[in-house]
Amino acid sequence: MSEIISQSGLRQLVADRIAAGTIVSGPTQVKPKLVLYAVLGSPDDLLLEGFVRPDNSIKECVFPKQEELYGYRIQGNNIELTDGLTNDDLTNDDAPVPKQLVVAARPCDAAALPILDHIFNWDFKDEFYNRRRAATTVVTLACDSHGENCFCTSVGLHPAAERGSDAMLFELGDGSYEVRCITDKGRALFDGKTEESDKVGRADAGPEKKFDPETVRAFVDQHFEDPFWSQHALTCVGCGVCAFTCPTCHCFDIVDAGPSAGNARYRTWDSCQFPMFTAHASGHNPRAGQPSRQRQRILHKFSIYPNKFGEILCTGCGNCTRNCPEGIGVLTVATEIDHG
Amino acid sequence: MSDDSTRDGTMTENKGFEPKIVAYVCNWCTYLGADLAGTTRLEYPPNVRIIRLPCTGRIDFNLIVKGFEIGADAVLVSGCHPGDCHYTAGNYHARRRWILFRELLDTLGFDLRRIHFTWISAAEGKKWQQVITEMTEQTRQLGPYTDLYANGSAQDSANDLPSGPPTPFEFKTLPAEGALRESCRKLLADGTVKVVIGYGQRGPAILTRAEDAGRLVWNNRCVSNLTTYLKRKEIKALGKPAVVVKPCDEKSLVVLEKESQLDRKNIHVIGMACEGVGEPKCTFCTARTPRFADETLGEAAGPASLADPPPNRFAALMAMAPAERMAFWAKQFDRCVKCYACRQVCPMCYCERCIADKNRPIAIDPAPSAKGNFAWQIARAFHLAARCVGCGECSRACPAGIDLALLNIALHKAAQVNFGYDAGVDPAAEPVVGSYALQDKEDFIG
Repeated sequence: MSEIISQSGLRQLVADRIAAGTIVSGPTQVKPKLVLYAVLGSPDDLLLEGFVRPDNSIKECVFPKQEELYGYRIQGNNIELTDGLTNDDLTNDDAPVPKQLVVAARPCDAAALPILDHIFNWDFKDEFYNRRRAATTVVTLACDSHGENCFCTSVGLHPAAERGSDAMLFELGDGSYEVRCITDKGRALFDGKTEESDKVGRADAGPEKKFDPETVRAFVDQHFEDPFWSQHALTCVGCGVCAFTCPTCHCFDIVDAGPSAGNARYRTWDSCQFPMFTAHASGHNPRAGQPSRQRQRILHKFSIYPNKFGEILCTGCGNCTRNCPEGIGVLTVATEIDHG
Repeated sequence: MSDDSTRDGTMTENKGFEPKIVAYVCNWCTYLGADLAGTTRLEYPPNVRIIRLPCTGRIDFNLIVKGFEIGADAVLVSGCHPGDCHYTAGNYHARRRWILFRELLDTLGFDLRRIHFTWISAAEGKKWQQVITEMTEQTRQLGPYTDLYANGSAQDSANDLPSGPPTPFEFKTLPAEGALRESCRKLLADGTVKVVIGYGQRGPAILTRAEDAGRLVWNNRCVSNLTTYLKRKEIKALGKPAVVVKPCDEKSLVVLEKESQLDRKNIHVIGMACEGVGEPKCTFCTARTPRFADETLGEAAGPASLADPPPNRFAALMAMAPAERMAFWAKQFDRCVKCYACRQVCPMCYCERCIADKNRPIAIDPAPSAKGNFAWQIARAFHLAARCVGCGECSRACPAGIDLALLNIALHKAAQVNFGYDAGVDPAAEPVVGSYALQDKEDFIG
C-alpha cells in the first residue's frame, strides 16, 4: 500500500501553509527558459513538471545570500551593538524563526543539507544556520527526467535519493503523487492529507555514470602542481556563478554595510573563484591566478572535504556546468580527469 | 544627516514635511555663491545640506545615488557656468556625464524631478537663494522620496516585460568550420600566433597546439564574445593570440584598441560571417560580415527581414511610469546573487581592481541587498556608458535571468541621440566620455 496526494491536494497544502504564515519555496517559472527556487506568493506559482531542475539551489533557505549578523552604532570611540535592521533577521535571540517549507526540491538539492549541517556545526555551532535549518521542512520531488549536465549517479546519488528530505513525492503520471514520509517533520506535514492507494510512483533512471570520484580524488591529491590546471582554467572568466548556484558551496564573507545602510554587519556568499577570496592585507595573494582557484574548487569537493567528513562535497546537480557562461564546471573537469 | 532621522522617521503625514536636500557644489563658484548669499543676509530655506567638492567634473555619479540612500528627498549638483571652470573644462565634462547619467537614472526609475543640475557663479548669491527656495518648495510638494528602490522590497505586483513566443531554433554546423580549423592549424603551426581563442564543443576553446585545431567548431551556437579573454593575464602570458569574432564581437576590439587596451598589430583576428546565434540581440542585428578582421571566413546571407519581430522590451520598460520601472528593477535585482558574471564576461570590464571590490573604504555596498544591487548595477552600467558594444553577454551570463543589457541599451541610445556615437562602429570617432563639446545640450540644467 502507498499514500498518495493529488496535485490539487498538494497545492492546497501549499496554500494552507502560506496562509498559516510559513515561508514556502519551490520551483517557479521566473521567465521563459528560466526556472528558479523562489518564495511562492501563491500555490499556482509552484512549477511541478516540464523542467530538469532549477538553476539555483535550496541552500538559500538555510544559508541566505545575505544575512544580517548584528547592527551597531558608533559614537565617538564607543561601538554599541544593536538589534538588526531587518524584520526577518535572527539577530535577536528571542525572535521566533519563521517556519519554512521547501516543496518540490530535487534530491540533489535536499542531499546538500546534511552536508551543510556538517560544515555549520563542525567546530563552531552556527546558530543562524541551525535555527533556520530546524524551522525548515523539505519535501522532495523525485526527478522525472535528467539533463545533459546531471551526474548524480557519479557521486553516489540517484533521482529518488531520500537523503536530506523530510518527505518524498513520486509522480504517478495521472496528476497525483505518491508520498513517502521519511522524518517526523514530513509525517506531520502530510498527516491526514493523503489517501491510501496501491499505486507506486517511479522516478527517472538517472544519467549514466560519467566519472569515478575516486579517480578524481586520486588525481587531485597527486597533481597539486600540474599543467592540467593552467590548461583547464584558460576558459574560466573568474565569476562566482558555479559557487553561488551550487547547493553545497558554503563559503561566506563578512561585510559591513556602512552608514548609508544603517550600520550593520552581514554575512554574504563568497566564492573561491574571486581574487579577493584569498587576498591578504599585505597585497600578497597565495592563489594568484585562475588555475589555482579552479584547482581549489575541485580539490575541496573531491579531497579536502571528503578527508574531513568522509563524503564528497558535490551532489551531482550539474548547476555549475549548467550556469557557467563558458560551459565549464565539476562535470567537465572531472570527466576530463577521468577520461584523460 | 544622522542615523536616526531616516526617511521613515522624518514624517508620517505630508503635513509639516520638511524635505532634506543634498547639494554637491564646486569649491570655486557655487560654494562661493552660497557663501555670498549668507554674507549678504539673503534668506533661504535651511533644508539644504551643502557638500563642497573641488569641481563638478570631480563629482562621482555614485554620490548622487548615495545622497538618496542616506535619506535625501532631492539632490542638487551645481558648479561654474560654462567657460568659467577653474580647471578650464571640468564642468563641460560634468555636463556630458550628466546627460548620460540622467538617462540611466530614468531607465532605473529614479524620480528625475528630484535631481537638479544648475550653474551658479560666485557672484550669484541671489540665484542660490532662488534655486534653493524653489527646489525646497517643489520637493515639499512632491513629498518624501519613499519610492527609492521600491522601498527595499521586491513586490510581486511589479510588472514584467513582454517576451515573444520562443523563436524556433535549429542547431546547425556551418560550412566555414573546416576553413576555420585549417586556418588555425596553419597559424599555430607556422608560429604566426601562439594561442587560438575559438569555440569548442561545450563553449570557448583555447588552443596552443596545431594538432588540436580539430577541436574547434563553428556553428550557430557559438555565442560567447571571445574578445573578453584578451584581457585575462593567463591568456596574455601565452603570447600572440588569434581570436575568432563575429561581427558583433568585433566591435569590442575597436573600443579596446581606442582605449589602448590592446595592440591590434599583435592580434590576429579571424572574422566569421554570421547569420545569428539564436540570442535576443540577433533578432535586431543587421551586421553579417566583420569589417576589420585579418581574414574573414564563411558567407552569410543578407539580413533577413523579420515577419514577426519580437516585442521591444526596452520600449515596454520605458512606457512604464518611473515608480513602476523602479519596482520592476527591484524585483529583478532581488534575484541578483552578486556572482559578478556580468562583469567577468564583459570585454569592456578590464579594471585591475573593480570599484565593487574596493573595501577600504567600501564604495559599493557589497551585500546583495536592494541598495547593494542597485549601487552595483548603476556603477557597472555607467562605467560602460558609450563604451558598451551591445554584445549582450551580461544578460546571457546572468544566472538569475536579469536583463542587464537593458541598462546598457539606455546608455547606448543616449550616446546615439545626444552625440551621434555608436561604440565600436567607427574607429576614428572620438569617444564620448573623456571628451566634450561646447554645444552639448544643457536644457535640463537650471
